[in-house]
Amino acid sequence: MRPENYQVVSLPNSDEYELFIGPNHPGIEGNYAFKLKLDGDRVISGKADAGYLHRGFEKLMEGRLWIQNLAIVPRICVPDPVPMEVVYSLTVEDIEKTEVPLRAQWIRVMQLELSRIASHLFTFGGHAATTGMYTPSYWGVADRDLALDLFEELTGGRVYHIYNIPGGVRRDIPNGFLDRLSDYLDYLQTRQNDYDNLLFTNQVFVKRARDIGVLNQEQALEWGVTGPNLRATGLAFDVRRDDPYLIYEQLDFDIPVQSAGDCLSRILVRRDELFQSVRILRQIIKHLPSVKGPVRSPIPNPLAWNVAKGESYCRVESSKGELAYYTVSDGGDKPYRVHVRGASSMHAVQVLENMSVGQRIEDVAQIMFSLDACPPEVDR
Amino acid sequence: MSKIGNIPVNAQNGKKRTNPLAGVFDELVQFCQSRSMFMLHYCTGCGAIELPPAMTSRFDMERLGIQPMVTPRQADILLITGYVSVKTLKRVILTYEQMQSPKYVIGICSCTVNGGMYWQSYATAKVLNEYLPVDVYIAGCMPRPEAVIEGLRRLMGNIENGKGIAWKDYFQRYDHYLGNQQHLFGNDWQTPTDIIGEARHYGLETEQTCGEHSRILEQHQQPLEPYKMRIKL
Repeated sequence: MRPENYQVVSLPNSDEYELFIGPNHPGIEGNYAFKLKLDGDRVISGKADAGYLHRGFEKLMEGRLWIQNLAIVPRICVPDPVPMEVVYSLTVEDIEKTEVPLRAQWIRVMQLELSRIASHLFTFGGHAATTGMYTPSYWGVADRDLALDLFEELTGGRVYHIYNIPGGVRRDIPNGFLDRLSDYLDYLQTRQNDYDNLLFTNQVFVKRARDIGVLNQEQALEWGVTGPNLRATGLAFDVRRDDPYLIYEQLDFDIPVQSAGDCLSRILVRRDELFQSVRILRQIIKHLPSVKGPVRSPIPNPLAWNVAKGESYCRVESSKGELAYYTVSDGGDKPYRVHVRGASSMHAVQVLENMSVGQRIEDVAQIMFSLDACPPEVDR
Repeated sequence: MSKIGNIPVNAQNGKKRTNPLAGVFDELVQFCQSRSMFMLHYCTGCGAIELPPAMTSRFDMERLGIQPMVTPRQADILLITGYVSVKTLKRVILTYEQMQSPKYVIGICSCTVNGGMYWQSYATAKVLNEYLPVDVYIAGCMPRPEAVIEGLRRLMGNIENGKGIAWKDYFQRYDHYLGNQQHLFGNDWQTPTDIIGEARHYGLETEQTCGEHSRILEQHQQPLEPYKMRIKL
């Protein structure tokens, strides 16, 4: 822009002004924008501006074969792609009435929990960086990378795996994989103390995060909040326990709950969840060798696969919240309709807009990261 | 900057470079340029998820002299990390035009090359090269951090050898790029940057800078008003 194109802006006789955050802004999570109306440094109102990542997934999926859709579902939520594959496979299996072998169910739960760990580690760093602490983001990304190495060994892909297919998983786990997973969990538990000292009990962070972005339980239920954000308001609702899928009934784990509903309690719920996932993975490491059998039940030729007529709604607990797919088949080789119920679209739009009112401008980024919204999941 | 600095301001009068020392320091300047690059912090798509590992401790992009930068005016590299929807592409073009020359564009992921797996999507722009001059493409869905770093090293090599000149193409063939942008966004598409004026200023104007599309732009061009948000909050 040339200097002669700048002009003096005449402001109205008011202290109110407007400010864009994003899409090109380090305080925004992904390609997303937020427009604020401010009085001094207090937020009067905010308006979410989504749609920068819209690709028309639900329409794309109607034009592709059932098996081809597996390649594009993980792209809906980039940091946590495994639940997308699993829940899509669950709906197809539900329509087709396919039995999933027990071993495949255990392997799926193993991936889901490992993906939850990776996603939460990523979130810690982002949340801490919005309060000016950059070390946790380096640690979080480095520790997440070790989980990605395990995924790479298991599935061949670092970020997108496409390992789950309707009927099970693509192949069995490699030799010695469980030992390396166990080593990783040992390493994570040695890091627990470091993370607590650096972030979760660090007064620099705690004083910034406490009493910011408070969400009470009634509002949370009214606005459709799910996942760790709901559990931070004191309600112990978890799809894994309250509507069990796969083999979660056989596993022993707690639902971490905090009561304050502010940014600090949201990150503490995620911290506790991470170590509950470690606990679940330890049980899987113990039990998986004793579960014998195939990892995939046979499906027809995938390129000419007409899924039976029917519809299905399945939900899982992803790291962002409750994730559900509503899949309708008209008996053809392509889905008739797939609807994705992502948790982030509630968190990033209505909750963020309402919660940022009355906050100070420097806390808006923190509130956004504490909700752990995933912009590609909002836009789809 | 080296090339630009040697071109007289009134280059449109047909004067050639008069400074006998022109070009002497070019190699030194290119060497320094290629080793201190700032990368714009703009995540346009899913490829951005591999940038934090590439930037932080494990793969450590900073040892190559590359750091993220938050404002377009101070950045050298525009990374297009993945698919660009039409709404994003408008912002990408605005951002690119605000960056100071010399500026480099890297297209990461298959989606910027040919649309990738969104080839049939109604919402995305398929070939990035039609709208912006791209220096380096890094294919893959998604490319690993090693591939990202290798792509950046290629760009560094290009700059050092004086081949990183795709940004001049935007001035020299502006009509071509503007035509593609108008095809996508409509004929009333306009950015606050005066590219043709800048091309004349830098002496980069060719016969393809102005053409039928820039005439459409002139017809529709509104005088730039101070930008006011017209959003009901």
